[in-house]
Amino acid sequence: MTHWPRNFLLATSLTVLPAAASTPAQRGLMVFQQVCSACHGLEHVDYGDMSSLGLSTDEIRKWAADQQLPNGTDDNGDPKTRPATATDPILSPYPNEAVGRLANHGLLPPDLSRLALTLPGGAGEIRQILLSYAPAPAGVKLDEGRYYNTALKWKHIGMPPPLQDGMLTYPDGTQATPAQMAGDVSAFLDWVAHPHQAERRRIGIYVLAYLALMALLTFLLQRRIWKGRR
Amino acid sequence: MTSPLKTPDTDPRGWFERRLPVMSLLRREYVAFPMPRNLNALWSFGAFLIVTMVFMVASGLFLAINYTPDITQAFASVEAIDRQIPSGWFIRSLHMGGVTMLFACLYIHIGRSLWYGSYKAPRELLWLTGLGLMLMVMVTAFAGYVLPWGQMSYWGATVILNAVHAIPLIGQPLSELLLGGDTLGNVALHRLFVLHFTMAFAILAAIALHVAALHVVKSNNPSGIDPVSPSQTLPFHPYYTSRDGFALCLFLMVYAGLVFFLPDLLTLADNYVQANPLVTPRDIRPEWYFAPFYAILRAVPSRLGGLLLASGSLAVLFVLPWLDRSAVRPATRRPMVRLSLPLAFAAFILLGIAGMHAPTPAWLLASRVAMAWWFIHFLLVMPLASEREMSS
Amino acid sequence: MTQSETPPSSDGTRRRDLLATGTVVLGCAGACALAVPFVESLKNPAATPLSDRLLHVDLSSLTPGQDMTLRWRDWPVFIQHRTPEMLAALQAPDHLATLRDADSKVLQQPKDATNWHRSVRPEYGVLIGVCTHLGCVPSFEKPGSTPEAKGGYFCPCHGSHFDAAGRVARRAPAPCNLPVPPVTFLSDTKLRIGHSAGDPGFSMSDIQQI
Repeated sequence: MTHWPRNFLLATSLTVLPAAASTPAQRGLMVFQQVCSACHGLEHVDYGDMSSLGLSTDEIRKWAADQQLPNGTDDNGDPKTRPATATDPILSPYPNEAVGRLANHGLLPPDLSRLALTLPGGAGEIRQILLSYAPAPAGVKLDEGRYYNTALKWKHIGMPPPLQDGMLTYPDGTQATPAQMAGDVSAFLDWVAHPHQAERRRIGIYVLAYLALMALLTFLLQRRIWKGRR
Repeated sequence: MTSPLKTPDTDPRGWFERRLPVMSLLRREYVAFPMPRNLNALWSFGAFLIVTMVFMVASGLFLAINYTPDITQAFASVEAIDRQIPSGWFIRSLHMGGVTMLFACLYIHIGRSLWYGSYKAPRELLWLTGLGLMLMVMVTAFAGYVLPWGQMSYWGATVILNAVHAIPLIGQPLSELLLGGDTLGNVALHRLFVLHFTMAFAILAAIALHVAALHVVKSNNPSGIDPVSPSQTLPFHPYYTSRDGFALCLFLMVYAGLVFFLPDLLTLADNYVQANPLVTPRDIRPEWYFAPFYAILRAVPSRLGGLLLASGSLAVLFVLPWLDRSAVRPATRRPMVRLSLPLAFAAFILLGIAGMHAPTPAWLLASRVAMAWWFIHFLLVMPLASEREMSS
Repeated sequence: MTQSETPPSSDGTRRRDLLATGTVVLGCAGACALAVPFVESLKNPAATPLSDRLLHVDLSSLTPGQDMTLRWRDWPVFIQHRTPEMLAALQAPDHLATLRDADSKVLQQPKDATNWHRSVRPEYGVLIGVCTHLGCVPSFEKPGSTPEAKGGYFCPCHGSHFDAAGRVARRAPAPCNLPVPPVTFLSDTKLRIGHSAGDPGFSMSDIQQI
């Protein structure tokens, strides 16, 4: 029973300070905004979808307005841009695949909309990759634009090590260590890859409860009807 | 109770009845309809199938409202259904989970018919319409799986259309008709969308035919002896409506578990990667309900041979009423079938498991053994068993 | 069929009725609840309040008597450069007598366009080209193109006539004048559609009929 004061304190801190505390997925969004979005997009996700992560309409609008989207061409045929709105997708910063490859030694940074679902190992594997950069051992010669990473089968990856200690400041005071940021951003990408999961489970409980009640009623009904008939 | 037919025209029921006798039809076919008294829970799967089909058509219509059958937009439109369309995730899960429930019930329903000999005279046409329905559901499921235009959609369709192409005589024109071009592209996606949509309603019509056939020959039962006197039957309502109602609640709980808690359990994650004609996924395999046939296709070291055996595994079911000449229906009363048929069921399941695994030598061997038993059971054991039962 | 009828048991019947009714009612309630997400999915996900997007127009190439059509918020917008003859025709008393709402009493325009020419500057008319009857796009009758054409609009669908200021003729089925969008002249030839300096509080949703 020596643990109870600590658990009690932990529980109260979570209930008393909801504004200051944030979820890993919310912190992960910050990592995405400030780090990942330099190369990656979430092309199937709208800025407005972040409202179910707990962002306010104003925060979403402000974030979207800072992003420029291609918007046709002007009268001279030159490409135009416009600020994004809440109903626009979170596009990759590269206007097309060729530019993305040119900027990354021929490799295209993948879209992250469903990565935590399609990557074998899921969000855990994303975290593992982010934390498995190491200096290349002696004798290993990597091509330009490849980085030594022990999480991958071939021990290298095209993404430069993205996370540095203290590169961003969490508003809730959490220390932005690489391990913390990797955990947060993988939680965020897991949330993105499984849309409406919390709502899905919440409604599912009610549906199962309703069906269980119906099962009970129909069971009683059929037992009464069948009484003495078999 | 007096018949509404004898009432004067001032009674709306009699007026209606003389012009369109649907009420008496419903009463005759769904209320007073005589059912055997001894049906077990396996007889509820037909009701599950109808309910699942209703869910499939309803969710399918609402998905079609938001889906775009164009290779540049199909994937994004399905993502939008999952993310941005209000309740779109629920409707799509209902449709995806529904396929699993539909095939599971279909296989159990057919297995029950095999076990209790429901395909025998006078129910041959009931059996054949049911098998025809299964083929229609398979074609529809294949066409529907292409629509999200993910990696599995694309490569599954490529493999199947090439398989169709390899069929002698009709294969080439048929695959060209589906493909509409040299490669799998926009034309094919449009055609498969229309095929999927149309087949859904054709299936509803075929269900009507199947049920009509059932109401002519009436239900088989576990004893395999058709009731002869009214004392051996019970009216459909309230006896079997209440029983099916209870069974349906349990069934819907499983369905809901799949929709709300395990939406990714039986789907392949690679289909959330947009189709890329330049890269085949490393781990390509079909959805679970096609796995047994896929395993046969892989286990035969010849393209035409694999196709023939995979389609032959279904064809033996079509001729089964004439392979099995015995008058005894349930396997429980047939010593040889009682041993052989469970092994055939096990072979089907084993083929399904093998189809979901990489083709290692061990799985290939297991597939070949299972496939061999499937054919031995239907082509050798069934005629032999009926021969022996007839002579004794 | 007597064998298959339910036996009337004095003690069980009432309870079964309650149970049966309850089950059926609850089952129907569940079916209705199931319909909710389906209906909900038909809501337009993009139906977020449209910010009044601004459109800048250069009028320098529009000579008197000419008109142009632009697209703003998915509506056709007509801009006409009126000649002195057109302006005179708009004020003729026998013409005004043929109009349903000559003084623009119905709120179909911002305050700074609630005048005899229904525009900020008399020489330029800006109208939303959607007939107030059933939504077709009227066509411009260039002044002088036929003897009776005075520079008005004619809707091909049901024959509604509007004058050059978008005021509807009495003999037409359309109930209201053509809507006027909020506009501001940034200079003599630069027009901004989407916000009115003379009526800053005006929004397109205030318009009665569009």
